[in-house]
Amino acid sequence: MKHRFSVQITKRLPGFTLDVSWTAGDGVAVLFGPSGAGKTLTLQCLAGLVEPDAGRVVVDDRVLFDAEAGVNLPPQQRRVGYVFQGYALFPHLTVAGNVGFGLRGRSRQERERRVVEVLERLDLAGLAHRRPAELSGGQRQRVALGRALAIDPALLLLDEPLSALDSPLRRALRDELRSILSGWGTAAVLVTHDFTEAYRLADRIIVYENGRVIQAAARAELLWQPASEAVARIMGLRNVLHGVVVKAMPDRIQIAWRGHTLEAVNSPTRSYLPPPETPIAFFIRPEYVRLIRKDRSAPDAAHHMNLMRGTVVGEADFGTVWSLRLRLDTPGTPAQGDFDLEVEVPHLVYEILEIERDRRWEFSIHRGSIHVLPT
Amino acid sequence: MSVEALSALGLSIRVAVVATLLDALIGIPLAYLLARRAFRGRALVDLLVTLPLVLPPTVTGYYLIILLGRRGWLGAPVYALSGWSVAFTWYAAVIAATVMALPLLVRTARAAIESVDRELEKAALTLGRSEWRTALEVTLPLARNGIVAGLVLAFARALGEFGATLMLAGNIPGKTTTVPLAIYTAVQTGEMGEAVALVLALTALSCVVLILAGRLGARAA
Repeated sequence: MKHRFSVQITKRLPGFTLDVSWTAGDGVAVLFGPSGAGKTLTLQCLAGLVEPDAGRVVVDDRVLFDAEAGVNLPPQQRRVGYVFQGYALFPHLTVAGNVGFGLRGRSRQERERRVVEVLERLDLAGLAHRRPAELSGGQRQRVALGRALAIDPALLLLDEPLSALDSPLRRALRDELRSILSGWGTAAVLVTHDFTEAYRLADRIIVYENGRVIQAAARAELLWQPASEAVARIMGLRNVLHGVVVKAMPDRIQIAWRGHTLEAVNSPTRSYLPPPETPIAFFIRPEYVRLIRKDRSAPDAAHHMNLMRGTVVGEADFGTVWSLRLRLDTPGTPAQGDFDLEVEVPHLVYEILEIERDRRWEFSIHRGSIHVLPT
Repeated sequence: MSVEALSALGLSIRVAVVATLLDALIGIPLAYLLARRAFRGRALVDLLVTLPLVLPPTVTGYYLIILLGRRGWLGAPVYALSGWSVAFTWYAAVIAATVMALPLLVRTARAAIESVDRELEKAALTLGRSEWRTALEVTLPLARNGIVAGLVLAFARALGEFGATLMLAGNIPGKTTTVPLAIYTAVQTGEMGEAVALVLALTALSCVVLILAGRLGARAA
């Protein structure tokens, strides 16, 4: 591993306390969480724009901040590149002037060489003499990146880099940003509140809630094993449900829910063995619920685990998929207001199964698709 | 135009130019500090700078006499040491004009500096600039239009200063009689032709300044 940095920050503000500790290395670490969770404040502490009350920030063995040792490097000595939310390009300078802004102190020749190099790598060569006001959103993003990368930063910080763009552009630039970040190989910390963006750009995701870290994990691990119900909700996971443990084994866990006994796979890395009767939260991805075709023979119990019956009580068309709201036949109060499960089916499936006409369905959920959330 | 009128016009321009330069020297840093720094006594400084805007000019002039006059807090020791007093010299006209015009520059420049996006300053800091270099390279250039507007207002105010100048510098023909004072004197003594000539000259000068400032502002934008 080339880069290694550790962050430990406490900062008290009126009505809000940031108290976080996490580490990251090569690649992109994404700070993910709702607005007001302290993500941007963390970036400002890393850049030296805000002084924490306590803690320690070390980047590649260089101590940037250490409250106990009285170390607090000013921003201009940290060599930390910062891409601001609105890019903060200097409107009175050209593209070349912006990119070269951080290169003061080098010889004129070297400065020019570096600017040309950065502009070429970011595909901005023809725009050197333009002003920021004359650029498109995507070009501005690249100039902001180039300006921060030109100083060869030890760490690159990006605050909601895509939020200033409208959505079709946003998607294209998300992929462009990803390739730029991996191409330059600079360790980066990126802030976002959009999970798709976080997942697309991150190697490691650090989940923030209300000034604290509630999970830090590799992105795949986070996707399949959120550490708690709070993480699941911040990720925007649907069908976060509550049941009661019937029996927990190292490989499987049985949960009583809405008159059914569901069987789920226990987490392979952190087997969770709560005693019977323990309340438990779990989630079911809407795209992993299978509707059973009526023209096929009776489902094989070993294959289709967790069989249930219900009625479609609501639906919404999202363009490529339909989202169905299913209410179980079992008596009792539905789990999510007036329905129990959200199920997502592609348009094609919706048409083949004639769901528009046929509202009563039997469906199954594979035990591997029911994910237990530890408390 | 008479010799006296021409000398008044020359003096007025000289006083206004020097006063505006002094205001730029004092007022721009002051506007930056008031806009961007929290320091002890900031409210007091703000109040003192702004007072001449709301006080009658004669009151400001009176305070200046108390401060700088031959028996003033500062003026007396200077007079005791050197036998010289600033009162009733053209320097006094410069000081009166400087003090009277300062709030116009400080208020306009301060508003312009406050409207500069702070993210830009933070960006400059992360790119290796000290706060001082950031102010010079980012904040002040971006506040340029407002600062130029403030300087124009200050110049116009200095050119038209009457009350405080009369109090501190007096009305000594050829020495401290600026155009506004000369116009007043001409009207008092019934020399209407002289008054009209000076009125037109001052009006023309003000128009020229406004037009130049407009061009400068347009180029910066």
